Amino acid sequence: MDSDENILRFRGVTVRYGRLTALRDISFETPCGSSTAVLGGNGAGKSTLLRAVLGWQALAGGEVRIGDAHPQHARPRLAYVPQRHAVDWDFPITVRGVVEQGRYPSLGVFQRISPADRELVDRALEELGISELAERQIRRLSGGQQQRVFLARALAQGGDIFLLDEPFAGLDLFGSEELTHILRNWESQGRTVLAAVHDLAIARSCFTRGVLLDTSLVAAGPIADVLTPANIDRAYRHGHCVHGATRSAAGEEAHP
Amino acid sequence: MSLHDLLLAPFSYEFMRRGLLSAVLLGVSGGLLGCVLVLRRLALMGDALSHSLLPGVAVAWLLFGTSTSALFFGGLFAGLLTALGSALLSRLTRVKEDAAFGSLFIVFFGLGVALISKLPTRINLADFLFGNVLGVGASDLRLAGAVSAGTAALFAIFYRSILLETFDPVFHRATGGRGGLVHLGFLTLTVLNLVAAMQTMGIVLALGLFLLPAVSAYLWCDRFFSMLLLSVGLAICGSVVGILVSFHAGLASGASIVLCLGAAFLVSVLFSPRYGALRGLRLGPTRPPGA
Repeated sequence: MDSDENILRFRGVTVRYGRLTALRDISFETPCGSSTAVLGGNGAGKSTLLRAVLGWQALAGGEVRIGDAHPQHARPRLAYVPQRHAVDWDFPITVRGVVEQGRYPSLGVFQRISPADRELVDRALEELGISELAERQIRRLSGGQQQRVFLARALAQGGDIFLLDEPFAGLDLFGSEELTHILRNWESQGRTVLAAVHDLAIARSCFTRGVLLDTSLVAAGPIADVLTPANIDRAYRHGHCVHGATRSAAGEEAHP
Repeated sequence: MSLHDLLLAPFSYEFMRRGLLSAVLLGVSGGLLGCVLVLRRLALMGDALSHSLLPGVAVAWLLFGTSTSALFFGGLFAGLLTALGSALLSRLTRVKEDAAFGSLFIVFFGLGVALISKLPTRINLADFLFGNVLGVGASDLRLAGAVSAGTAALFAIFYRSILLETFDPVFHRATGGRGGLVHLGFLTLTVLNLVAAMQTMGIVLALGLFLLPAVSAYLWCDRFFSMLLLSVGLAICGSVVGILVSFHAGLASGASIVLCLGAAFLVSVLFSPRYGALRGLRLGPTRPPGA
């Protein structure tokens, strides 16, 4: 599993927006087939790091490699799941319609959706337990079901690396537990998950590895080694509301 | 008045046949474009865009007279200048895109009104603003046909890209889609259609032919494709009925088409079984607060 092809590598990655440095000299490796939480306060660079893996962030320095490939060449392996609040839930589209979009990237302009594509869509719907809801408009679903629709679209893409931007944001307790269950399952099936997460308790219970950011890298590795009190303190110390951030981080620690 | 007098006799006039054909053709493309405008929340931007065409058209008129192609390129130039100018302003300055757009279009519109009122011709500002079906010439009709066919063809070919870019631009980009290109192409198509609709609908009212059928269809449909179909159907019906009303009532064609489409919108907004106002009043809002 640790062959070159199956390691996600960051080497000295730096990203700037104008004069603002969003990521500073980030280097770490994480094996594929594991689930990794990308952690840090607001503005720590979580989303930027995901965008760098997707290959649509111009880097001011360093490189990202998926195996030996540049992200743009690894695109068929990558599937991206947007934040819930970025989705227009009133859009006239059904659950099946969204999941079918997962097949679009592999279709040519004049190519129609084939029975094989439909098969993949059906399997994704089934795996996430939303076959029954396939013809529903996406507003008429619970939060957890809505999240599963977009996970199913990612599955239908046929990749093995999943990038999730704040997948737990806006989910209730039940939805969170459901999602934790799904993501753990994915990891046990050898899929790679990289997710921006702001809740440390969820990170602990759902992910095996972690990357803690403070625009610079604070720590990376197995989640328990990353989320030590000293590291958390370091990561949240520079945040713009220093005391609030530290306290809430400590508070989340108190009841995992 | 017999049914024949009501429905068929008006079309014994050449200008009525042309007006009808032009409105139906533009109903097809306007109905398609309108769906994307509504779903991407660009409705007001489309409105601003249509106003900004005026100075381009006026200058073209001043330099080349009544040539359809000159008016077309004049309007296109002014529209793209507004769209690109506001995109540039919002990138380079603190001004946000909506404010940049609003400021640019109102200046352009003022300039257009000033130019037209000073032009040494007998042209009528009201025709420019609100449309005059009498003025639809053979070359206008050819333009409407070309623009409509082009728009429909692009929608057919790039249906999936348009759907992805409208629904989830981030996903579109993440999967290698050319989002910027689709967006720019869409803006260009909108300007082209606005210019082509200018003669029948007028600059101020042209957007009604795009927006009203789409927003009505939005209230009935749960699928993108069916929304496109219904929107086009409504736009065609509204154009036909509107042209007839304008003939019998002696109304400006643009105004009567917009009013017919407005009636369809009113019915939809009140009575749509799932998303209408009456249902909303009976059962509470259709969505949770803050969603």
